[in-house]
Amino acid sequence: MNSKLINELSDLVNNDIISQEVASKIEEYYHSKQQNTPNKLFTVFGVLGSLLVGLGIILILAHNWDDFARTTKTIFAFLPLVIGQCFVAFSILKRKSNTWKEASGTFLFFAIGSSIALVSQIYNIPGNLSTYVLTWIVLSLPLVYLLKSNSVAILNIICITYYAFEVGYGFATFNQAPWLYLVLIALLIPHYLQLLKHKNTSNITSIFNWLFPLSFTIVLGAFVDHLSELGFLMYLLLFSLFYNLGKTPLFENQKLRRNGYLIFGSLGIVIMILTMSFDSFWYLEQFFLNAQESYVSIVLFITNLGLLAYLYSKRWIKGFNVFQHLFILFTILYIFGLNIPVFGTIIVNLIVLALGITTIKIGADKFHFGILNYGLLIITALVVCRFFDTNMSFVIRGLLFVSVGLGFFFTNYIMLKKQKSKVESLKTNS
Amino acid sequence: MKTIHIFILFIIVAVAQIAVPAQMIFNRESILNSGMAYKFKTEPVDPTDPFKGKYIILNYELDHIKMTNNNWQRNQEIYVSITNDSLGFAKATSVSIEQPELGSFVSAKVEWYSERDSILRFTLPFNEFYMDEYKAYDAEVAHRDAQRDSLPNNTYALVYVKEGEAVLDNVFINDIPIAKFVEQ
Repeated sequence: MNSKLINELSDLVNNDIISQEVASKIEEYYHSKQQNTPNKLFTVFGVLGSLLVGLGIILILAHNWDDFARTTKTIFAFLPLVIGQCFVAFSILKRKSNTWKEASGTFLFFAIGSSIALVSQIYNIPGNLSTYVLTWIVLSLPLVYLLKSNSVAILNIICITYYAFEVGYGFATFNQAPWLYLVLIALLIPHYLQLLKHKNTSNITSIFNWLFPLSFTIVLGAFVDHLSELGFLMYLLLFSLFYNLGKTPLFENQKLRRNGYLIFGSLGIVIMILTMSFDSFWYLEQFFLNAQESYVSIVLFITNLGLLAYLYSKRWIKGFNVFQHLFILFTILYIFGLNIPVFGTIIVNLIVLALGITTIKIGADKFHFGILNYGLLIITALVVCRFFDTNMSFVIRGLLFVSVGLGFFFTNYIMLKKQKSKVESLKTNS
Repeated sequence: MKTIHIFILFIIVAVAQIAVPAQMIFNRESILNSGMAYKFKTEPVDPTDPFKGKYIILNYELDHIKMTNNNWQRNQEIYVSITNDSLGFAKATSVSIEQPELGSFVSAKVEWYSERDSILRFTLPFNEFYMDEYKAYDAEVAHRDAQRDSLPNNTYALVYVKEGEAVLDNVFINDIPIAKFVEQ
């Protein structure tokens, strides 16, 4: 992007927009800025290299070289581990650059995995995948802090999520909630907080902004035991939490694509609520108070409430946003409305409509065509869903479609016009 | 934090990283050296593990015992006392929840209990045998063929047992190690 700007400079000078002096100043500024930042590309390739070499070693060892004696195989099990440790020790002692630390850390991470796998293989140690991955996580997690390594942290998030997935959904361990997941993920939070504090706008932080909600979304289902209907409420509460987190200035002031929480939350809420807008959803069973799902739901609800109260106390909420308050209304509806289908369905449909309108309004206020059309899409999705399960006549359904289609045209057209008049007013002012 | 402190912490972590696999090795070696060897009649099937490679699953013939006590839960940890039968293969003598004080025993997990014929079914934990990736499937085939042309079941696993822990040392078909048998 910087180089693009520098390329434009000569054009700007030629057209007398800026003077030659200003142009050279801008150029100088960007050059000095570039010198101060280490080469990120180098780090990326270093990590990628170690990642491939590490994975390759695991695969080569998994061949099972049964021509070798047990001792020889054992030495091979430790060789990559010791080499990796030497590299890491070297980069710590010599205070090497981040590139060194990330690359050696990544290599060591895989060496740990390969050494445990090989020893289990040599001695035919049985055991399910989850215990193996757990040992791997415990042995490699300290590297995140010792090396301040983002790549090891990312690999750990993946492993931890995989562990929870194995325990929660796996065949071997049927119906177990992966409670240990919470502890393991909490161990990575300090690293994440450091990143948010010191490198808030860097790309690596935004990767974490996406990975954490992704991991939570995958794992939450593992806490659903047999009360699957409460699972919907749990997911809705989780997405609401993401949305409200994404609305804190820490994330809100960033570019939308860096704000994984907001996008995850918003999409999640809409999808959950659309699913529930079907008539058949509300013919559901009962509600048990003392079940694991109820406890998880209660914890999520209280966290949501706390976060919302915090947002209010800091005066970070400007105007009423349905997305942010939805969870309260919804929880009440869920507890009391489960056996009254008409009630539940009608209110949920109204909620979806409200969400769509809210989104359109946010889009219009921000002059953001993406958000505006997302809002229209929500309403379209609602109409499409109703197309299937209502007894409305075809004429009414047809008219609904036409009106939503016209809505797309008009809102976009009005926005475009507004934008143009804004540009013109800027011109006349200057 | 100073570099030296980080380095010291890293050394501790590194030692742990080596200690875990090393401890796994010492544990198994001690069982192999001083444990009792038993032969378990078995049948191999071959699956794959993403990290550890190809292995064969051993379905042991020793997977049930007659028990009058019917208070068992699925996946419950139990101890199976074993001894050699007249042909020199392992057979179960009794099952207990508490660790037995005398004799050889292995830990196992309860599969299910059949009330009708009062039989307790269990799985022995040492049922994975890792092999060269090209040989694992052949091993399954070799076993099937050996089954056809000679004695009823001539495939067995050699297992070392010590204080309830067991290490699977090798699998034999007609008294030849399975890896060698496959090559023939």
